[in-house]
Amino acid sequence: MKISFKNVMPQHLADVQHDADSIWGNSFQIEAQSKVVLNASSGKGKTTFTTTLLGIRNNYSGDIHFGDVALKSLSKEDWATYRSSKIAVVYQDLQLFPELTVLENLEIKNQLHKTFSESELQNMLDELGVGNKTHERCANLSLGQQQRVAIIRALCQPFQWIILDEPFSHLDAENARKSLALIDRICDQEKAGFILTTLGDFYGYNYQVELKL
Amino acid sequence: MLNQILFKNQSRLQLILAFLGAFLGFTFLITSFHYLIRVNEFGEEEEILGSNTLIVQKKVSNYNSIALGKTDFGKVEIKHLEGKDFVESVSPILNNSFDISIKTDSELIPYFSTDIFVQTVDHNFIKVDDASWQWKPGDEFVPVIMPREFLVMMNTFASAKGIPQVSDELAKSVKFKFTVSNENQKEKFAVKIIGFTNEMSSILVPTAFMEYGNENFPSTVPAKVTHLMTSIKEGRFGEFEKYMEANHLEPKESSVLIGKLKSIAGTLFSILFFISLLTIFLSILVLLQYAQLLMAKNKYEITTLLRIGYSPALITQKISRYFIKVFALITLSSIVVFGLAKFFIDKLFVKGGILIDNNFTWQSILAVLVVFGLYSLFNHTNAKKVIQKTQ
Repeated sequence: MKISFKNVMPQHLADVQHDADSIWGNSFQIEAQSKVVLNASSGKGKTTFTTTLLGIRNNYSGDIHFGDVALKSLSKEDWATYRSSKIAVVYQDLQLFPELTVLENLEIKNQLHKTFSESELQNMLDELGVGNKTHERCANLSLGQQQRVAIIRALCQPFQWIILDEPFSHLDAENARKSLALIDRICDQEKAGFILTTLGDFYGYNYQVELKL
Repeated sequence: MLNQILFKNQSRLQLILAFLGAFLGFTFLITSFHYLIRVNEFGEEEEILGSNTLIVQKKVSNYNSIALGKTDFGKVEIKHLEGKDFVESVSPILNNSFDISIKTDSELIPYFSTDIFVQTVDHNFIKVDDASWQWKPGDEFVPVIMPREFLVMMNTFASAKGIPQVSDELAKSVKFKFTVSNENQKEKFAVKIIGFTNEMSSILVPTAFMEYGNENFPSTVPAKVTHLMTSIKEGRFGEFEKYMEANHLEPKESSVLIGKLKSIAGTLFSILFFISLLTIFLSILVLLQYAQLLMAKNKYEITTLLRIGYSPALITQKISRYFIKVFALITLSSIVVFGLAKFFIDKLFVKGGILIDNNFTWQSILAVLVVFGLYSLFNHTNAKKVIQKTQ
C-alpha cells in the first residue's frame, strides 16, 4: 500500500516557514514496504505527521492517500479497520492501559485478530527483556519497560505499515537495538513498510527514505 | 476484558440511586396503568342509558322536606318539558305503589330478605334487547336490572362472612323471589337478573310488571312520578341546563355509588400515572447522565481502544448492552413488585365487594416494555453520539 502526500499542510503549521524539501506543502509518494525515517528536533511536527497519517488529526489542506483511498473519505468504522489490520502504531505517549497487566495490554489488541499465541507473546517479552513483567500492572513499569510493551502490542496485528513515534526515547542503546531487530523481523514477515520518527538517534536502523520537516 | 476497561470508573451509589428512581417510576407506571384499565372496565357494559339521556328530578330544598313543595311531576309539567324544542323525548320513571320485597332463593348465596322499591322506564331508553325485557302474568320469571351497589353490598357481606364472592355471571344464575303485596293479598314471583346498572339506584322491572302490580295490589298511596327520563337533542345540553335552572330541576347524579368509586379510584390512579411518567422522565435523564458521565470518566480508555483498532460500533454496543441489562433488571423488578402489590390491592378490592378482573392487563405490561425500549434506544443513541465524537 503506497502512501501519497499532495500539498498537505496542517492548519496550525500553515503560517510557519517550511524548508523547500519539507513534507509540508509538497507532493511525494512512499512506496509500499519502504523503510522510512523522519528525523527532526522536538516541536517540529513529527507527531502531527503520525497522527495525521492515523486519521486522528484531520484539520489539514491537501490530500493523503493510502493506495487509491483518500484518508478524508474514511469513516470512523473504516479507520477502525485500518488501525486494526493495515497500520500498526506505537504512539509517543504509548496509550497503554495502566490498570491492566502487561499480558492483558497485549491481549486486548491481540484478540482482535488472534495474531499470536500466549507463548509467542511471552517469547517476544523475553526477547525485549521484560519477560518477568508479564503479570505486572503497566502502571508499575518504568517508561522504558512500557515502551517495549507498546512496541510488542503494535506488532499484535496484521499490518502493511508500522508507524513508530519516537519509540525508543526511554530505552538504552542495547534495548533499542533489540526492539528494532524485532520490529524489522516482523515487518519482513508481514512484508510491511516501516516509518520511524526520531530526535536524531538511528539505533543502526537501515532506512531507505528520509523525510524532512 | 473490554468490560473491565469500559466500566471501571463507576460511581455505584449514583447508579443505585438512578436504578431506584427508574424502578419506582416503572412500578408506579405498571400499577397505575393496570388499575386505570381495570377500574374503568368495571361495570363498563352496564351503562343502560344513551349518552344524551338524563334522569331529571326536582331540586330538594327545605320546603320539600317539610312538605311545602312538591317533589313529583304533574302531567302539565311533563307536557311542558315535552314541548321544548331541544327535547327529543320524555318518559316518566314509574314507581311502585304496592309493597314489594326481595329475598334470596338459592343456596349459592347467604339468605336475606328486604323491602325494596322498583322503577320502570320506557323500553326505548334502555339498551337491553326486546326479547329478554318482556313479562306477562304467568311467565316463569320477572327479568330485572339490578343496581350494581346491590352486588357490591352482597359481596361486602360475603367477604365479612368469609363466604366466596359472587361474580356477575353467578349473580345472574342465582334465584331471587319478589313478594308483592297489599293489606289483603300477596303473590310471589321468581326473579332473574339480566343485567346490572351503575346509573340507577333502584331495581328496574319491565313496564308490564309494574302495571300488573299497581293494578292488582294497589295501596292507598298512589304512585308518584319523581323522576323523568329525558333525551336531549345532540349539542343542545346548554339550553336544557338553562331550562332546568329556571324550573328548579336538576339532573340526578347519573353514576351513583359505583360511579363515585370509579371516579375516585380513577382519579387516584390517574395522579399516580402522571407521577410515574414524571418519575420515569427524571430517571431517564439521570440514567442518561450517568451513562454520559461514565463515558466521560473513561474517555482515555475509549480513545485508546479506538486508536488501537476497536470499532466505534463495538464499543457503542458494549456500553449499550450494559445499560440494556440494567434497564431489563429494572423492568423485571418492577413487574415482580407489581405482581406482589397487585395481589394485595386485588384483595382490598374484593374486601370492598368490588370484583375486578384479576388477570394482568397486557397494556400495562406493554407500557413498561415500551418505556424499556425507549430507554434502551435513547441510551444507544447517546452512547453512539459520544463515541463518534471521541478521537
